[in-house]
Amino acid sequence: MPSATEPIGPGKPPNVPRFLAGCERWNRKLHFYAGLFLLFFLWLFALSGLLLNHPSWGFAESWNNRKEANYEREITAFGPEVKGDLGQAREIMRQLGIEGEILWTTTRTDADQFDFQVRRPGHFFFIKANLARKRITVRQADVNLWGVIKVLHTFTGVQMDDPRNSRDWVLTSLWAYSMDAVAAGLVFMVVSSMYMWFGLPQKRLLGAVVLGLGSLSCGLFCIGLRWLF
Amino acid sequence: MSGRFYRLIRDLHLYLGLFISPFVLVFAVSVFFLVHSWRPGTASATSTTRVVSALPLPGDWQRLSGRPLIDALKPTLEKAGVRGEVGFIQHLVREEKLIIPVTIPGRETTVSIRITSGEATIVTRETGLADALVTLHKSPGQHGPNIRRNWFYMKAWRWLADATVCLILFISVSGIYLWYVLRAERSVGYILLLAGALSFFGMAYALSH
Repeated sequence: MPSATEPIGPGKPPNVPRFLAGCERWNRKLHFYAGLFLLFFLWLFALSGLLLNHPSWGFAESWNNRKEANYEREITAFGPEVKGDLGQAREIMRQLGIEGEILWTTTRTDADQFDFQVRRPGHFFFIKANLARKRITVRQADVNLWGVIKVLHTFTGVQMDDPRNSRDWVLTSLWAYSMDAVAAGLVFMVVSSMYMWFGLPQKRLLGAVVLGLGSLSCGLFCIGLRWLF
Repeated sequence: MSGRFYRLIRDLHLYLGLFISPFVLVFAVSVFFLVHSWRPGTASATSTTRVVSALPLPGDWQRLSGRPLIDALKPTLEKAGVRGEVGFIQHLVREEKLIIPVTIPGRETTVSIRITSGEATIVTRETGLADALVTLHKSPGQHGPNIRRNWFYMKAWRWLADATVCLILFISVSGIYLWYVLRAERSVGYILLLAGALSFFGMAYALSH
């Protein structure tokens, strides 16, 4: 059985520099090393992408099957070091023992009333704070595993066209940079696969046809539709 | 038999991988824009405005909502020369206006129709390639399933996005097989697979618990 790390097809001419041969070998090795390391991330994003594109699939329903709990808590007065909306929100979360990404959904009009949301995959906290009475009302919604999977796909801590929301939880940043790493890994795998394919002269023609078909159909959506309509 | 099976899997891995590689690049590159809320080119997006008069509205449009309303307004949009995926339609009762957002990847059009006169102001913004990639990454998406895919090309995009997922799953499983037959690479592969699993499940656990 041929090995994927061995050259396939006609032998290399003897004058092929050793450096190039080393590059080819390492390119092939790194292709499947990257694939193996990213495997679970890839499966998560592929499966969750499918679920997000099919919101009508009943088996993966999460929000309608959520479990909700409502509770009220007293909080102690803020110290002088607690400043601004973010500082106050963090202090409230600390006192409630909640961790997650803060989501600003309303504009604060009353200095004594402070509403915000905290999210983490699987858990949603809707917090209403009456700072004058030092009372916090929390509505907590917990979703099932399908909900966790779907949220992991989109959990970046930022929203396009909404500069108010920025990452404020260290784990959100870690997850967001993991998404970058997975994307960079995928780009590397695509480029390395093209390099490997190009090194197989007997497979170049059919490969070019297949790659051309993929590029044409994808290019139609990226550029072509604007040009056609 | 096993040699033939190996070659078949290797060829399918190669050719199917080549076919979906442009789609994988679209989804991968757009991740950087989505994760960092960054859309290069949108600030300099060019915008054009034109006015179309006497656009006919369907007689029963006020009784409709959601997808039936979009379907009823399609001929009106055709007459205005606007094509694409129609978004959430707003009816501004006091201003007597209909606001219809229409999207083609890389282009956003807003059609404002005065209900009384049928005069439409059409604002078109060319938002560029980066925005097109972001739009495609998020299409059709989880929101508004009842109105989404009202344009044939967006329906086709969902088929292709689904096919990309299925092929990625096939390519990853076939990749595991192709790695596994390489005895010399097994130990390094196991270590990387374990490291990836620990990173993934560790992060997922920390985020959700």
